Amino acid sequence: MSVHLRSLRILAGKRALVSQVSLHILPGQITVLVGASGSGKTLTARSLLGLVHGIEPGIVAADLEIQDGEVIHRPYAAVDRERAFVPVRGPLIAWLPQNPRAALDPLQAVGAQIRDCLKLSGQNTGLDVAPEPWLERVSLAKSVGRLYPHQLSGGMAQRVGIALALARGSRFLIVDEPTTGLDPSLRAGILEELKRARDSGVGLLLITHDLRLVRQLGDHLLVMDRGCIVEDRPAQDLSAMQSAQAQALWQATLRLEARQ
Amino acid sequence: MSALRPWAGVALLLLPVLIWVLSLAANYDVIADVDVSRASLAPSVDHWLGCDHLGRDVLWRLITASESFVGPSLFACVVALVIGVPAGALSGWLGGLPASLTRFGLTTVASLPRFVLVLLVCAAFGNSVQLIALAAGVAYAPTLAEAIYARIQSFRHRGFVLAGQAHGLRSGRILWLHLLWVNHRRLILRHCVQLFAYFLLLETTLSYIGGLDGAGSFGVAQPDPSWGNMIAFEWREPQANIWATLAPGLATALVLLGATWTGRSLIEEQA
Repeated sequence: MSVHLRSLRILAGKRALVSQVSLHILPGQITVLVGASGSGKTLTARSLLGLVHGIEPGIVAADLEIQDGEVIHRPYAAVDRERAFVPVRGPLIAWLPQNPRAALDPLQAVGAQIRDCLKLSGQNTGLDVAPEPWLERVSLAKSVGRLYPHQLSGGMAQRVGIALALARGSRFLIVDEPTTGLDPSLRAGILEELKRARDSGVGLLLITHDLRLVRQLGDHLLVMDRGCIVEDRPAQDLSAMQSAQAQALWQATLRLEARQ
Repeated sequence: MSALRPWAGVALLLLPVLIWVLSLAANYDVIADVDVSRASLAPSVDHWLGCDHLGRDVLWRLITASESFVGPSLFACVVALVIGVPAGALSGWLGGLPASLTRFGLTTVASLPRFVLVLLVCAAFGNSVQLIALAAGVAYAPTLAEAIYARIQSFRHRGFVLAGQAHGLRSGRILWLHLLWVNHRRLILRHCVQLFAYFLLLETTLSYIGGLDGAGSFGVAQPDPSWGNMIAFEWREPQANIWATLAPGLATALVLLGATWTGRSLIEEQA
């Protein structure tokens, strides 16, 4: 099973926010999407779920293909796109948004939200809708289940977000800047979590500013700049990147590391 | 003291409801209970709040009067909920032209002063408590709908709604469960409490006015008891038992105070 997005174009009025973006997510691999702020990373990610609203008039043209053996699902080609995205959102692709605290229902306890997610995924019919194992899986105490989102620290909220995404049991996971604002040990913990998900066969799309992540766990690298993909290559040898923008980003990362 | 206020509020607010249940269970015939020999009797062991100038027991009338507002004001709440919640929720969620049209209708109703609207309904369709309740519910619905609309509108593009959609939650479930039930139930309850208090005040006011003009053309008319017409009926009597006017006035004030305290405790801090 794999996800292929081809020639994505998002227009706001006559201005193209994203143009000619293509990417592939494969099971058991981490595709890293890197780019400056405002380069269209999040929009690209949301277009995989058909959730690009709030942009007026928000014209989206894309060829999204989700291939499962012989079966090919093309939600953007469907007449009723909303309906065509129903099997995609959740069962196939889950999304961990940039600000995980805002992504949690502010007036519902964390445990209840995980339980809802488990019920939704249907993989635990009957007995096993307990949120505790999922909290432990992301190294949170069982008692966190009783807390409300405003009582969580940033790192806890991030890990609850990951627990929710894992509990949903999706085949692919889009993770939007998961390590922003976290200290190194938490960061390492979350990366560990993502690796574990990859090793269990989940395909990941990781969105970040941080090229160092690519070295640590990337399989494939995409660099976006002003709505276009400027670099599309395996994540092994980053110094050989072709485009000026990607090189600039890479040099900046090296300078930062040298200073640290 | 301030920590006790919410509980005191709820207690004061539940008191008329309990009295109402008691009154329905006791089914005491206050209209037949007239005895001129005990006119304007002061409070005693037999008559805890004394009697009015026709010799009717004040406490029993006070209790039975709850029937003239508790049931109808609950009915008014149901009317406001049935109109206001779907109108506010759907227009907030869907936006666009349907929302504009719905809100135009609601604001038109809201632009009429509620009291005038209720008086108009009384004048046009007759004067029954149920009708007043219906009118009050309809008149209050725009306020509820606008409050829900404003919040749903601001919640619609929040991260957790988007995240819910990304997890595959159906729109209906997000709207009714996550937005309305989880995030709006306090708001809705607060408006119900407010409407309850508003209806009590409305019914008492109308019955008071009706009691003063003697014809009973507004609100609940004598000999049926209401806290409003009890005050109007007694306060000009020279030798009156003071509790016959004081008791319904105090009761009204306490229930309104209870509603205010309860309502305040339901205001949540904005997330």
